This record gives sequence, C-alpha cells and structure tokens, in this order.
Amino acid sequence: MATRSPAGVLLPTAVVGSYSVPEWLERLKTDFHQQRLSRAHFDEIHDVVIKAAITDQERAGIDFVSDGELRRDNDIDYLLARIAGVRMPTMAKAYYYDYYDSVVGSHLPADAPPLGLADEFRFTAAQTDLPIKFSLTGPFSLSRRIRNEAYRSDADLVRALADVLNAEAAELVSAGATWLQLDEPFLAGYRDQVDLAIEAVNIVTKGVDATWGLHVCYGNRYARPSWEGHYDFLFPAVLEAHVDQLVLEFARKGYDDLKLLTRYGWDRTLGLGVIDVKSEDIETGDLVASRIRRALDVLPPERVVVNPDCGLRHLPAGVARAKLRAMVAGAAQVREEVVTPRPGGDLSSAAEHDPAAQRAVLAAVPNEEA
Amino acid sequence: MLVDVRPIHKLRGDRAVDVGASLAPVLGALCEDSVDLSRLRVVCDWVQYKGNFRQPVDVRPILAPGTDLLAAHGTAPVAEEIEVAIDLRRSGDGGIKDAVHEALGNRQDASVPSPPARVELEDWMPTSRSCVWSFNALYWQALDLWEQATGRQYEQALPGGESDARNRGAVGELVADMLTGFDDLAARNALPEELYVVELGVGNGNQAKVWLDEFAAADRAHGTEYYRRLQYLMCDYSPHVLELARKAVTDHAAHVSSFVLDATAPTTALGFLRGKVFLVYISNVYDNLPTEEVARIGGRSYRVEARAYLARGDVVDLAEYVAASEAAVPALIHKLLRLGPALLAEALPERFPGVETAVGFWQRAWQALKLEERYVPLPGLDTYRIAPGVGGEVLRPLLESGHDVRMHVNNGAVASFVDTIGLLHPFGRLLCHDLFVTDTHQYRTGFRGPGKYDGSVVNWVNGPLLQLIGSRKGFDVCYAPFAHRSGTNIVTMTARVRD
Repeated sequence: MATRSPAGVLLPTAVVGSYSVPEWLERLKTDFHQQRLSRAHFDEIHDVVIKAAITDQERAGIDFVSDGELRRDNDIDYLLARIAGVRMPTMAKAYYYDYYDSVVGSHLPADAPPLGLADEFRFTAAQTDLPIKFSLTGPFSLSRRIRNEAYRSDADLVRALADVLNAEAAELVSAGATWLQLDEPFLAGYRDQVDLAIEAVNIVTKGVDATWGLHVCYGNRYARPSWEGHYDFLFPAVLEAHVDQLVLEFARKGYDDLKLLTRYGWDRTLGLGVIDVKSEDIETGDLVASRIRRALDVLPPERVVVNPDCGLRHLPAGVARAKLRAMVAGAAQVREEVVTPRPGGDLSSAAEHDPAAQRAVLAAVPNEEA
Repeated sequence: MLVDVRPIHKLRGDRAVDVGASLAPVLGALCEDSVDLSRLRVVCDWVQYKGNFRQPVDVRPILAPGTDLLAAHGTAPVAEEIEVAIDLRRSGDGGIKDAVHEALGNRQDASVPSPPARVELEDWMPTSRSCVWSFNALYWQALDLWEQATGRQYEQALPGGESDARNRGAVGELVADMLTGFDDLAARNALPEELYVVELGVGNGNQAKVWLDEFAAADRAHGTEYYRRLQYLMCDYSPHVLELARKAVTDHAAHVSSFVLDATAPTTALGFLRGKVFLVYISNVYDNLPTEEVARIGGRSYRVEARAYLARGDVVDLAEYVAASEAAVPALIHKLLRLGPALLAEALPERFPGVETAVGFWQRAWQALKLEERYVPLPGLDTYRIAPGVGGEVLRPLLESGHDVRMHVNNGAVASFVDTIGLLHPFGRLLCHDLFVTDTHQYRTGFRGPGKYDGSVVNWVNGPLLQLIGSRKGFDVCYAPFAHRSGTNIVTMTARVRD
C-alpha cells in the first residue's frame, strides 16, 4: 500500500497516546469508581487535565499531540465498558486501574450506537491547533480480557470487536480525526496469533480514510513489561496490515530489531520509540539523536516518526515533560543534520532532500494540519 | 472521655483480665486530677512482649494542627488532647493509680520539659529514626558477642526454636510448584538459561541449605536439569553472617553467590536481575526493619513520633556498672552504638576492662530502654513519604475506615518490598514468612509492637498496606497461615505478578 506520512514534517515528533496520570487524579478516578464522585464532576476534571496535558505537549514542542488518554481507566475497560453486548458483572473497583471481569454472553449487536469517542476527539481538537493522534486499543488485545461465551471461537470474537472498532473509527474520521492508531499491547504475549490480529486490524481500518498506525509493544501495565522477546514474530504477517505506520518500542530493549524492517522490506513509516517510558531517567537530546540516527541507517527520514516507546501514563508529570523536551531536542538535532548534512556525515538520504523545501516545511510545523 | 479497650480476646474465658480492677483506679486518678477529661483518651493494650519499650502507664500528647509551623518558629508544641496508655498486663499490681498520677504530672502540659525522673537519649523524631534501630542494627552486627553473653543462639530465641524458613515441608511444596512452572515455560521455549533465586537475610545459612537440598533432590526426581541452571544468591548486610552462611551450603558452592546488601534496597546490588528472579525468599526480616506508625484519631491523621529515654533509676544502675557519672551514661550509650562493644572496650578501657563488660553495658541499656510517644498531625497524607517512591496517599483506604486506628507503616519493609518485586520475573514470586497483620481490624484489637526480641526490635508487618502497594504496582499479594507448624503467628505472604 502507498506510504502516507501523517504530515509533511520531516522527523515529526508524536506521543504514543497516554500522558502522565498524577497521583491525585488516580485518587479521584478511584473515588469515581467507588461512587464517591459524580459523573459531572469527573467529566469536568478530565476536561481540565486534558487541557493541561495538551499544553504540556505543545510547550515541549511535540508536533502531534493526544488527549493523553486521561479519561480512560485503563487501556481495556474504557472501551469494553462502552461496547454493547460486553457485560461486566461487577462494576465496583478497589482501584481505578484494575481490570473488570468482562463477559460476552451473546453476539455483539450490529446496530449498536457509537462508543462516543468522536466527542472526545472533538473536545481535544477544540483545545489545540496542532494535529492530533487518537489511539484505540486493538481488537485482539481487547478480546484477551473477555470471557467468550457467545462466539464459536475466540477468533470470531476478535473479528466482531474489530467490526465495532471499524464503525467507531468511521465516526472519528467524521469528527475530523486524520491520524488513528491501534494499540495491541497484548500481542507480544501471543506470538502465534499474529495472523489473526492483523486480519482484525484490517477489518478495523477497512474503508476508514485516515492515516493508520499500529502500535505493538511489550506491555506497559504498571510500568512493567508483560512480555519479553523480539519483534520477529510480527513479520512477515504485519506486512499485510493495512496501516501506514508501525509504532514500536526500542529505547528500553535496544535497536537490534531495526534490521527486521530491512530484512522484511517494511515500506511504510516507522514510529520509532526513543524514550524509555519504564524508566524515570531522563534521556538527553544527544541520546535521542543517536537513537534516531540508528533508525536512519535503515529508513529514510521521511519515513520516521519520533515517539516514546509507549504511553507516558506511569511517569511523574515533571519526568514526562522533561522526556518529551529531550525527544524534541534530539529530533531537531537530527532534522538539522538531515537538512544540512554534517561534514563527513553519511546520512545518505540527506542528499535526496531539498534543504530549502525542508526548512519551509519545518517552519510550518506549528500550524500544520494532518 | 473515650476509653478504648483493645485486647478484647482477653476479656472472656477462664483467664479473663479483670478490666474493672485495672480501669477503676485509672479513672479514679483521672477524676482526681485537674486534667480536662473532655480532651482525654484512655487506651488499654495487652503488651505481650515481656521486653518492651513502655511503662505500665504512658501519657502521649496529641498535638494540635500547625505544630510543624510552631516548631519552625521555636514555639513549643501544644497538646490538643492527651492519650493515657495502659498496659493491662502490668496494671493489676496495685500501683496503677500512683502511676497515672505520676504520668499526668509529667505531661499535663506538653510544653513542660521532661522531668528529671527520665534521661532522654534523643530528641523527638519519627520512630523509624530513633536510636532503638541503632540498637537493633548493633544486635545483628555483634550477634556473636550477644550470643556468647546469653549462651544461646538467636534462632533459639524464636518461637518454636528455629526459623520457619527451615521447614522442609514448606520448602518441598514450593520447589515442586516452581518445577512445574519451569516446565511450562520450557515447553514454550521461554525458560531463561539461568534460573535465579534470591534470599534476603540469610541468617546462619540453614534455610539456603534446606532449599538447595530440596531443589536438587526434586530436580533429580523430576528428571530435569534445572539445578544445573540454578543460581542461588544469598544476601545479607553482614559479611560475617554471609561467610557463616556460605559454610552451610558448601555442598552447593557452584550454585551459590553472596552479596552484601541492605534488605531495604536490594536493587543497589541486584539491579542487574530486574525482571529475572523466579523466587525471592525472605523469612523473619520485615518485622525487624525500621518502622513508624500513623494514627487516625477523631478524623485527623497523625504521625507517631518517639523519643528514647531511660528511667533515672536505670541510669543510676548503668553508671554504677561502669563506674561513671550518671551524666556520662547517654554519651556512653551513643558511643556504644557507634563503635560496638568490642571497639568500645578498646576505646575506653578504664570504663570497660573487657568486651564482656561492654556487652553487659549494652544488654543492660537495652533492657532499660523506653520510648515516649506523641502524635503529630499530618498536614496531608500526600506529604508523608512511606518509602522511596511510595507516598502516604496509599494509606488512605486503611486509615479512613471510620474508626480511630493506629497502625504500623513498616517503612523498611515497604522499601524492601517495593524494591524487591521489581526483581521478579513475570512468572516469579516473592515469598515471605513473617508476623503479618492481615486485616486492619487487628490493629484495633491487639498490640502489634514494638517489642524487644532478644536484642532486636520486633513489629508486626502491615499486611493490608503491602497488599495495597502491591496492587498499585500490578502484583497480587496473598496471605495464608504458615501451614507447617501449628500454634504459630507466622503468616506466609506471596506476591506474584497479576494480569
């Protein structure tokens, strides 16, 4: 499929999705789930913290921002709780981040109302002039937290969830979303089911005119990896995914898996993880730049988006801000090198670019629409 | 006035405590006194440790909010209320009324300095920083000298006469379960080449020997070669203890490494094992790590502060023992804590003609050591730090039960726990045998420390707190009675990754 960059910016910076959740917000979220806080107040709190998160990203110099997924209790339940036909026998939580037990007792209805994510996108879009990335947990990972009592196979449940997400993605695009990302944090634990996961991804993206990213990491639950290994399990299956961008975790694990992109001929964009979100050590701009250069050994700069390994939710706000600033500084450093190659530099792709044109693109970044 | 009788299990049965006989003289003394009865709490405990830090009657000021600000300006703290604490075990001997009078005379006004009947060894501070913990550390550092003086090893001081970590039945069950887990991982080609087991606090090495013996035998019977891949890491903060422990495991020398480390921060030495350890074993360590307490009184949260002191009579005895002046005793104690008995005898031969005299001084000082306490308001739970990376906000569900409660925070154990679980492999577990409170209600019905255990400090561990902290970090923490010895208070805690 044709490569589509989310914007004309060279080496743009983006977040993966979630943003720092302060302890006081966690307390309020828990209060809400224990019915000590009204829905109206809860929504207002979320509105305020999302505005703050966007401002943090803007001030850090991020090119593509998100709402920080701050309305979500966790990566799974926020969506499952909205999907008609998914039942949660117990809705009380001791802690907001806990998972519910979810059951699908009958086929998911085909004519269910939308999940309401489009309204969230509209709210975010009203707060910023920057382009927005909007993330959804993918159908495969969603299915891992559901007890399937309705479908003949778990694969059928995954496909049914994909249909739901496909409809929601269309709603999001109608609301103005242009860059959507599917997150599959559980996939690395089910290496033998990649074909199913990719089939489901293609159901979700089908007919939805957006720039699509697919994020696969090794888990970020409680800032711990849930799985270990290498991305070799993704290939060659992921080549069949109808997505424009593969968003992968590298900073924590190292960059050896970059060679997989060359070996299997990944011909689209890479969302390059350059920030370790499981460590509170703040990277330097130089370190980020060196990581980006590793990627430019295998991909041209116009096919690299610079982002953290995963969501920032477990990092203290100050650390998250500092890491984003380092990421932006590192990206700017390499961008400058690409536009104006260093003496003796071997960034071969630099010669392919018109420096004047690139500078013009960079200058337009703040108001660039995806 | 509120009267809170906590040891309710002592109120019934053949050997029931006559609370009336204890409380009547207490109430009588209170009514005879000019103390404001509307601002008074009487709490009755049964302090089961014969060696402890309390008097039969203690008076504790409950300071007013803003104490920290007043102290910053050099103003004496103001007691908003007073808590009179009675040890029911020692209150039936007829002298309780006088003891209450004396205690109240000492403490009607918190701004009045301590009376000369007491010699303070330190200023007010969070209990976790009190010199009682220096005594505790000294006990483990100079254990051999203590044991020589008492004529018995520390394991003999434990209930049952040995550490529960040595129980072969418990170890056998654990090993069998681990082998099954290894099989599952091996079947998925996910078993690492090296299988790490860590023991924190190795004692005399007997636990390590029992575990390794059982593992090697079970592996042979299992027909696998997991023992070949096993790396057992013995960790203790005492090189001397580690050396002794190594001698106990010479049969497994090729599989054993030793690390000197502080149990409260294992990753300082073991950071390279993050996410790789299949078993961390800790037995009777948490109850011996520094702790302080927090309390909820009348809807307000407090931190308990303490100050170590000696009764005047004990100071006189100690001074006589080393032929020193009474005024010199506190300095000699602090010198003992800095140098240890052996060096103290070398440094002050005129006072301590031999190490035995220094050890004798140490044991007498320890026996006499008491703690007075006060409650200092917390401006907010979020301002209280339990351990590195663990804020006090996590205490809220435990403190806001609607009742007055005082509980341990077990700062050292929490620090150790949080740092340790980061070492665990996704299929690993932390196994801990210790004295755990498993329900916060137990704090309202029993005394959970501190007590003196031989030469060390013992406090029960706040199990629900570790459970909450574990939960917030993605771990299931479960408690079960220790299954391999009856009549024990020891509880087994298991922490494993969830989701």
